[in-house]
Amino acid sequence: MVQIKYMLLISRQGKIRLMRWFDAFTATEKNKICRELSTTVLARKLKMCNIVEYQDHKVVYRRYASLYFVCGISPEASNELLTLEIIHRYVEAMDSYFDNVCELDIIFNFTKAYDILNEVLICDGSMTETSKTSILKTVASMDALETSDNLDQVLS
Amino acid sequence: MASVYAPSAEDVVRRLRPFGMFFETSLKDLIKSIRGASDDPEQLQQVLGRALAECREEVRSPDVELKANAVVKLAYLEMYGFDMAWANFHILEVMSSSKLQHKRIGYLAASQSFYKDADVLMLATNLLKKDLRYEGRNDGRNDVLTMGVTLSGLSTMVTAPLARDICEDLFGMLSSSRPYIRKKAVAALFKVFLQFPEALRDHFDRFTAKLRDDDQSVVSATVSVICELSKKNPRPFVVLSPLLYEMLLTIDNNWIIIRLLKLFTNLAQVEPKLRIKILPKVLDLMEMTSATSVIYESINCIVRGHMLDKDDDEAAAICLQELNKFCNSNDPNLRYISVILFYKVGKINPHFIAKFDTLVIRLLKDVDVSIRSRALELLEGATDEDNLASVVQILIQQFADKDVVSASNLFQQAGKAGVEIEIPVSYKVKMVSVILKICSSNNYAKIPDFDWFIAVLSDLCVVSQDLNNSTIGNQLADEIRNVMVKVPDLRSKFIDTIVNLVLNPDLTQQMPMILREGYWCIGEYSSVLRNGDEFIKKSVKQHRVQPQVSQIMTQALIKVFSSWCNDGTDKPIPYVKEILGELIGFYESLSTSHWFEVQERSVEFLEFCKLCDESLESEDHELPLLITEVLPGFFNAYDLNPIMAGTQSKIQKSLAIDLETPFLSSEELENLLREDASRQDEADSGLESDLELDSVSDSDSDDDGGAVPLSEQSMPISISGGTENSEMSPEDRHSLQAKRRQDRMDNPFYLDAGDESPKTKDGMLINFDGEETHVEPKSIGKLDLSTVSSGSLSRKKNKKKKKAQVLIEEGLPDLIQDTQDNRGSLDKELGNPSSVNSSAINLKTQSKLDDFDFSSSQVSPGVTNFGETDDSADIEKLRAKFASPSFGHDQSPDDEVIVVKKKSKSKSKSKSKTKAKSKSKNSKIISEETQNSQV
Repeated sequence: MVQIKYMLLISRQGKIRLMRWFDAFTATEKNKICRELSTTVLARKLKMCNIVEYQDHKVVYRRYASLYFVCGISPEASNELLTLEIIHRYVEAMDSYFDNVCELDIIFNFTKAYDILNEVLICDGSMTETSKTSILKTVASMDALETSDNLDQVLS
Repeated sequence: MASVYAPSAEDVVRRLRPFGMFFETSLKDLIKSIRGASDDPEQLQQVLGRALAECREEVRSPDVELKANAVVKLAYLEMYGFDMAWANFHILEVMSSSKLQHKRIGYLAASQSFYKDADVLMLATNLLKKDLRYEGRNDGRNDVLTMGVTLSGLSTMVTAPLARDICEDLFGMLSSSRPYIRKKAVAALFKVFLQFPEALRDHFDRFTAKLRDDDQSVVSATVSVICELSKKNPRPFVVLSPLLYEMLLTIDNNWIIIRLLKLFTNLAQVEPKLRIKILPKVLDLMEMTSATSVIYESINCIVRGHMLDKDDDEAAAICLQELNKFCNSNDPNLRYISVILFYKVGKINPHFIAKFDTLVIRLLKDVDVSIRSRALELLEGATDEDNLASVVQILIQQFADKDVVSASNLFQQAGKAGVEIEIPVSYKVKMVSVILKICSSNNYAKIPDFDWFIAVLSDLCVVSQDLNNSTIGNQLADEIRNVMVKVPDLRSKFIDTIVNLVLNPDLTQQMPMILREGYWCIGEYSSVLRNGDEFIKKSVKQHRVQPQVSQIMTQALIKVFSSWCNDGTDKPIPYVKEILGELIGFYESLSTSHWFEVQERSVEFLEFCKLCDESLESEDHELPLLITEVLPGFFNAYDLNPIMAGTQSKIQKSLAIDLETPFLSSEELENLLREDASRQDEADSGLESDLELDSVSDSDSDDDGGAVPLSEQSMPISISGGTENSEMSPEDRHSLQAKRRQDRMDNPFYLDAGDESPKTKDGMLINFDGEETHVEPKSIGKLDLSTVSSGSLSRKKNKKKKKAQVLIEEGLPDLIQDTQDNRGSLDKELGNPSSVNSSAINLKTQSKLDDFDFSSSQVSPGVTNFGETDDSADIEKLRAKFASPSFGHDQSPDDEVIVVKKKSKSKSKSKSKTKAKSKSKNSKIISEETQNSQV
């Protein structure tokens, strides 16, 4: 299967801030994973490693400020370091897009966060765009188009 | 009344919306209100409920702007666990809007909720096709981005029919002038290939040409796609390996290098020849690069790609050296993954990791329990006679609930306070079984000192009683029994420990499994038990013992009594009577047990004890013969020795049993009877009255001393049979046998077991009747251990060579098998190709090809089980398509096959096309309807 099965952003209070499923899960499964992972991941100490075994797969997480970025990866994909790197790329991209990203940015602009994620993790998370500039360029041009779309509509 | 010039209020509202000015709740308002209510769960529920209701209203609005807004809100609410599949149709409407903004929202929502919704996807097909050929209104950029959005969205919802319809478009996009489109198309093709493997077969060259693309991001995407596909079936890609190898040498992008390494890992699993070429290069790479994840992936490639041979010490040393560095790093992630790799290297050959014992011991004290638990798995390879004791020491210390690890202890980080760790129960359970495993491995070869081991065992019993885990209890119990049986020197010491364990009231409650084996040991080796009287007194007071335990206990106690009475010291008769009284009381209490086994045994022994009691009445000074002779005679005929599992059944199988010859010929019988009579004269009268009870105990064993009276009671059956038989003619014998069989059938107490069971039963009889020397001398010779007591350890090991060897064989392969089993199921899902498998499926697929378009178009949307089932079907297809020789190395037959296939393909395609046409007609109508509804 694909390398990354899902990606969740969980706040320190255990709230889900973003979730992206790259695999078929039913609603109950999704809820279960969210619930269980937020408790397991939040309970882990700073010094512990960022890889947790959960059900039949591994979960790689990383904490940035008050947010936990949690990725479920298929067990045979197995480069956990790469997954951490992907998470970091994503955060970097958001950081430059929002200019010092914080949790509130993601909450209020969650569609933007999804858009950036779509650019970072192409095609079900099995691939990544590694160039930050190209990611930002695409997102920025989309934004520009949107505003021009809006203008068009008003002017019409 | 709205005039022409003054816009209506509704109109104003509509015009302001694009600026984010909503008079309905905007996404921002929704988020704010949710945040405001987050303290009070009840209020939050209200807010969420209200928001959801609003969305339901708004999503039906004809205004696309409003609809899109509602869909965004729904996408947000989905994170609170509200399924939005019901809105799929509305999402589709938003997707079909011409504005990029709406498209983005629509595709975002679609990728979250469309998955495998066959109806909506069918409707979406047309839209997707249109979007992919989108004619931009403004300029080229719009075009590109729309396609980009579409492609990202598409890749999350591809199903087999959709894949078939869309793959031609995607291949067209591969030659787009824009790298962004090419990249996205490559990515989207990945999902298409999974659903529709024929596309890859037909356009293999066209697709792999993208490996030589000018743009690196396209190359990267292509490598990634091939890497992912090769996980499912590496065979077709083996032909690419020269090109890939070249890329590995020239490319300096670490991301791509990692992908390439992964790809080679997959390829090397089916193409062993690659190893010679790749391995040196990978080792070079490890030396040159400074990137940790590249090093890690290199090792991963070597280990998983089966490039490490059992005797390839050099490569193993390089890998382990790097891993060792990782393990010593500050980064817990590095430590964790390298421990796992360590384990995998160790599985290839345990002696690779043997010298890293200090490292493993340090990892056992790691802050992170998950690292510890991984290190536990390493222990088996890393322990030896010298460090075993210290390792076990460390592990047992960790049984404290909270373990404080000072960070400075591990790494030289000053000023950090210790971290307190909660040790989970599952880890403890694992720990106990690992301790037992490493200690008992190789037939206890690693144990430096058995006194120490006994102490460890009893400690383990005490500490693990809280774990409440029956498997651990059984393992411990087995271990106790094994040590008792296998180490004769230790029995006298060990039995005291066992007595303590068995009489420990806590343990009795928590770990009843230990009691069972404990009592068995005590009973069996009661001869080395001192103070048997005390033991009897204490154990009869134990109440509420499980029936399985009492079953063993009834026998154990009488054995203890027998040994105690005959241990050579003088005992006052009244005291013996007192102990016997205790026993009688005990058996009486059990003689009404609901458990048949317990009841039977206790009644047997009860009767015997009563007889003993009577006989004690008549004696003043000496113990009666019943106790000194008959009682020990029940049990002490042979020593019990360890034998390999399954030996008994083997013996029975190899025995050629002569069921025809009578046990005694008539003359022998005469002699025996005469002898008997003469001996009976010598025997005292007290014995005679006791003879009846012998039948009680003949189920246990018999012996030389007891055999004499026994024969009189229990033999007559066989005697009569024997005498008759010897005088009978063969025909008579046959008729008699037939009659007997008939009797047996009629008799409800006989289990009708055909011919087999009586045979084996007789076999047992022969076994026990002292004919072993003649029947199976070898096994006795090998298993006889009773005389070894002075030989101690070394002797013991030699003696049990046979056993030891088996243990070696069981040890590590078992380990591998375990994990293989675990992974096995996964592998099956992933369809890791095994030669047998693929050939088997090959046969199937030839026929499948002929009529595949019907099945595939119907099956895939239907089977929405969990993705895996779907995938395995895909994989099967994929594999089937490629495992067939068409993509092998030899070229000449290759072409032919492809040609043939293409023909059949084109036929099926035309079929599918007509089908698709009819379908697309349908969908067109429906989509027109949707447009109507919009207008």
